[in-house]
Amino acid sequence: MEIVEVLPIVAPILVIQIILMIVGLIAWTKTDETNGPKWMWLLIILFFSVIGPILFFIIGRRQQ
Amino acid sequence: MMQWKTIFKKEMLEYWRNFKWVWVPLVFILIAIMDPISTYYLPKILDAVGGLPDGAVFEMPEITPVAALMMSLSELSMFGVLVIVLMSMGLIAGERKSGVAELVLVKPVGYFTYISSKWGATLLLVWTSLIIGLLTSWYYVNLLYGDISFGALIQVIFFYGLWLTLVISITTFFNTLFKTPGIVGFLSIATIIVMSIFNQIFSHKITWFPNNLSSHIGDMLDSGSTSGELWGTALVTIIIIVALLFASLLAFRGKEMAN
Repeated sequence: MEIVEVLPIVAPILVIQIILMIVGLIAWTKTDETNGPKWMWLLIILFFSVIGPILFFIIGRRQQ
Repeated sequence: MMQWKTIFKKEMLEYWRNFKWVWVPLVFILIAIMDPISTYYLPKILDAVGGLPDGAVFEMPEITPVAALMMSLSELSMFGVLVIVLMSMGLIAGERKSGVAELVLVKPVGYFTYISSKWGATLLLVWTSLIIGLLTSWYYVNLLYGDISFGALIQVIFFYGLWLTLVISITTFFNTLFKTPGIVGFLSIATIIVMSIFNQIFSHKITWFPNNLSSHIGDMLDSGSTSGELWGTALVTIIIIVALLFASLLAFRGKEMAN
């Protein structure tokens, strides 16, 4: 499979993954209290692409 | 109306602050394009990964553009619905738990204003995400499988949006009943699952049940015309949405606020 030929199609997906991760990290730095240890969420955001940041947004942060 | 706008704006601001305006559309895009793209590349992926014995012939079924777009809808019905329920399960319940709802409601804000403005804010977020997601999916389907007219896409978005609106209304309804977001989420998903089981059993008898929206949309794309059944289902869905909002109001009125 040629990399060049799939790039236009796979690139947007990669971009979305990266944006999600960056936004997740920004939210992570802004959050004081998380459910569970804070460093654990950092690892989750960094190493589980897509799912990690989404999980953090939904259940990671404690309300108020 | 003034109060409605104020709560609506407050909700929008909150969506910006907790990045919902960023991640929900992105997630919808991913959910919508996942299946059409991976199906298109399945033969190539199989080639690259190998593992098929020599001489094995693997016939890929020809996939029509309509079938590809319907893949997006079915993924959205799974994961999209899950995301909607999870993100809106604290919509009102969370504020009641933390006491914010009490603070809002001591001001001259009607219960219905409060519920409907929050419902409307979620609606705007979900519809925007749905439109962006399906536009992206439509782009890929046109690129990889073949043409689907823009007019058809608009119809798909409109009718499918009704289904997601129903999901939001169900979650809003449970939000007014219970104070714990977890219970709200669980009951919403349970309701949707029960509805889909009910639909699987009776779908040949009750063709206007909201869960049939997707299959009617598929028929519409295949035949190129909106059937009476699709309109009927849409109408039933709208009626259920209005009924749910009304029930939310009644349930919310009788509830004690945060203790």
